[in-house]
Amino acid sequence: MKLAIQPRSIAFRLVVAVLAVELASSILVVVLSFGYERHIHFRAFDVMLHGRADSILGAVQDADDPDDNVILDQADLHISPDDVYEVYELGGRLLGRSSNWQGTGASVPQHPWGDFSQTVLNGHHYRILRMQGSRTVDPGIKGGTLHQVIVVYGSPTRNVWHVIRSAVEFYAAGSVLLLLVTGPLIAWLLHRGLLPLRQLASLASQVSVDAWQFSPPASAHTTPELAPLTNAIESVLQRLERSFLQQRAFVSDAAHELKTAVAVIKSSLQLLSMKRRSAQEYQAGLERCLADSLRLEAIVADMLTLARAESSTPNPGLQPAADFAACIHQVAGQLEPIASLRNVQVVFNSADSAPPVRIAPEDCTLLVSNLLLNALQHSSAGSIVEISLNLESSQATSAAVLQIQDHGDGIPAEALPHVFDRFYRGDPSRTRTTGGTGLGLAISKALVTKAGGSIAIASQPDPAQPNQGTTVSVRLPISK
Amino acid sequence: MRVLLIEDEVRLADNLATALRDGPGFAVDWAEDGMAGDDCASNLCYDLIVLDLMLPKLDGLSLLRRLRARKDPTPVLILTAKDGADSIIQLLNAGADDYLAKPFDLGELIARAKALIRRGKGAAHPTLTVLGLTVNTLEQTVLRNGVFVDLSPTEYRVLEYLIHRPRVIVSKRELLEHLYDYNWEHHSNVIEVHVSNLRKKLDAALPVPDPIIETMRGRGYRLAPSLPPAPESDRDQAAEPGRLPIQERGQ
Repeated sequence: MKLAIQPRSIAFRLVVAVLAVELASSILVVVLSFGYERHIHFRAFDVMLHGRADSILGAVQDADDPDDNVILDQADLHISPDDVYEVYELGGRLLGRSSNWQGTGASVPQHPWGDFSQTVLNGHHYRILRMQGSRTVDPGIKGGTLHQVIVVYGSPTRNVWHVIRSAVEFYAAGSVLLLLVTGPLIAWLLHRGLLPLRQLASLASQVSVDAWQFSPPASAHTTPELAPLTNAIESVLQRLERSFLQQRAFVSDAAHELKTAVAVIKSSLQLLSMKRRSAQEYQAGLERCLADSLRLEAIVADMLTLARAESSTPNPGLQPAADFAACIHQVAGQLEPIASLRNVQVVFNSADSAPPVRIAPEDCTLLVSNLLLNALQHSSAGSIVEISLNLESSQATSAAVLQIQDHGDGIPAEALPHVFDRFYRGDPSRTRTTGGTGLGLAISKALVTKAGGSIAIASQPDPAQPNQGTTVSVRLPISK
Repeated sequence: MRVLLIEDEVRLADNLATALRDGPGFAVDWAEDGMAGDDCASNLCYDLIVLDLMLPKLDGLSLLRRLRARKDPTPVLILTAKDGADSIIQLLNAGADDYLAKPFDLGELIARAKALIRRGKGAAHPTLTVLGLTVNTLEQTVLRNGVFVDLSPTEYRVLEYLIHRPRVIVSKRELLEHLYDYNWEHHSNVIEVHVSNLRKKLDAALPVPDPIIETMRGRGYRLAPSLPPAPESDRDQAAEPGRLPIQERGQ
């Protein structure tokens, strides 16, 4: 059994994140509410303790004896049975104490408002207030006698805690309820909110090689979250469609070229066998067939070269270096017979010392011979083909620039963008008779691209000034 | 018969033209691009157009549409390297009469070319018979009441053209246009000489001369001038299987 770790959906993750935030804030609310409730309830509790202690103080009475002593009159005291108290005179004499308590002693409180302390009595938590008060006995006769009294009063805190707990429990329960309600609600809202995304996906999944239409709703372009995705899908599909159609056009063109070449050979052979012919006629027919198959061979070879040049990934860093100038000299020498046959002169102007360029030597030879052959084929008789090699350096890169200029009729402006297309012929009747396969410039471009360089063609055919010709410029990076 | 060949591949065009000239003896004109082909076709002097699809300047399909748009009825045989039913359906719907996929068989091309020309002139069978005169377009043989008539290639081509259009006046100009390609010097008296020889040879096959080609002075020639009350020989031949009486071309 295979165990696949499935990544959770974005909606799930969002819901979990929102719930986690909600949970954290509920915990915070509970903690804060606990602190707040405790604060205000204990404040009220303390005020109540003060009040009760004051009422105890009020129960300290004149003892009606000659020494103007005081006593605690416990008869009139109405206090909660759970509460405890004791009253001392400042000297330490106990004036009275609740029956359910042993007391804490007559220490003087540090603070004027009173000291609070905690204790446990009979298993319950008590908050104890120790407070100092004064009582004047017989103030009217001789200024009276001032008695300093210490009142200790305690009350159990369990009711306060009960109230605090109830309040906190209310907040906690509310938060949990909120979590339970908002969880599914958020999930549902997210599901609804992500609907355009699913629609987009479903539209995109309908695209195939036979149906390239991808028409997202207008909202997909205006929604900020969907717009980048929609635009990306659209541009990817457009590029794919373009390259797919190009590929298909190439296959179709290649099939046309090959079938035509085969049709030529087949028809030549069938023509030969249509009737009895003389030995000379057979001889001539066989020679024609041989020429036709050589042409077919050239087309196949060019197609393979192009496929090889295009399939290899450009990696200019690792390519071996070729001596550009030497390569040009060599190719010009090889093509000299063709040049003299067409009565065209080839002139080569080289920069003093050209460093090696980053291109495989065999690619360099193929590139230069393709371009030079092209220039020779398009030259008018008696004209000159000029080759120049210059160095061009900027801060970042330095490159060798090869320019091959012929003085032929030039290329019409409408044909210029297509000359690097495979099987494109500016003037079919002429290149067919000169034996071109329509792949020379496409191969050149693929070789230059592979070497990380660039190729451009310029031509300004002008009927008023004929033989301006065409200039092909190749820029190749120099190896360091 | 005169064929217009529109094909940009020089060697293929060369072979096709030679085959069509040598085999069925057609006059062949060659146009190397769509525009030139369109110019030639507008002369309306062709019995068949053989059209390549991928052509410079004007592609085959557009050229075909132009032809049909100006109501040119000339049969069109398409040469295509494209596969797929779609493109074939598109071609036939645009007005093509037939197609051949490259690389094709030369014999098949010639057979289809003949069939298209025949159909274009309203004949279903390669053997045509009018008034005891039988022309077998496959073997290029001529029988007059069962007697073999030996004709020169040009005489045969004149007769072949006339028998496709029986009882219709065919001008000398029309004969010239349909028998010679445009490289030929147009001398109308050449036609007169050929027709005269043809008439002599056809009559020589009979015991009593019975001129089957009539000369309409200043207008041209007409094969089978009258509708005779079915002579004996004609009935015999009509009974033979495979020899169908030729249909009148719709005027």
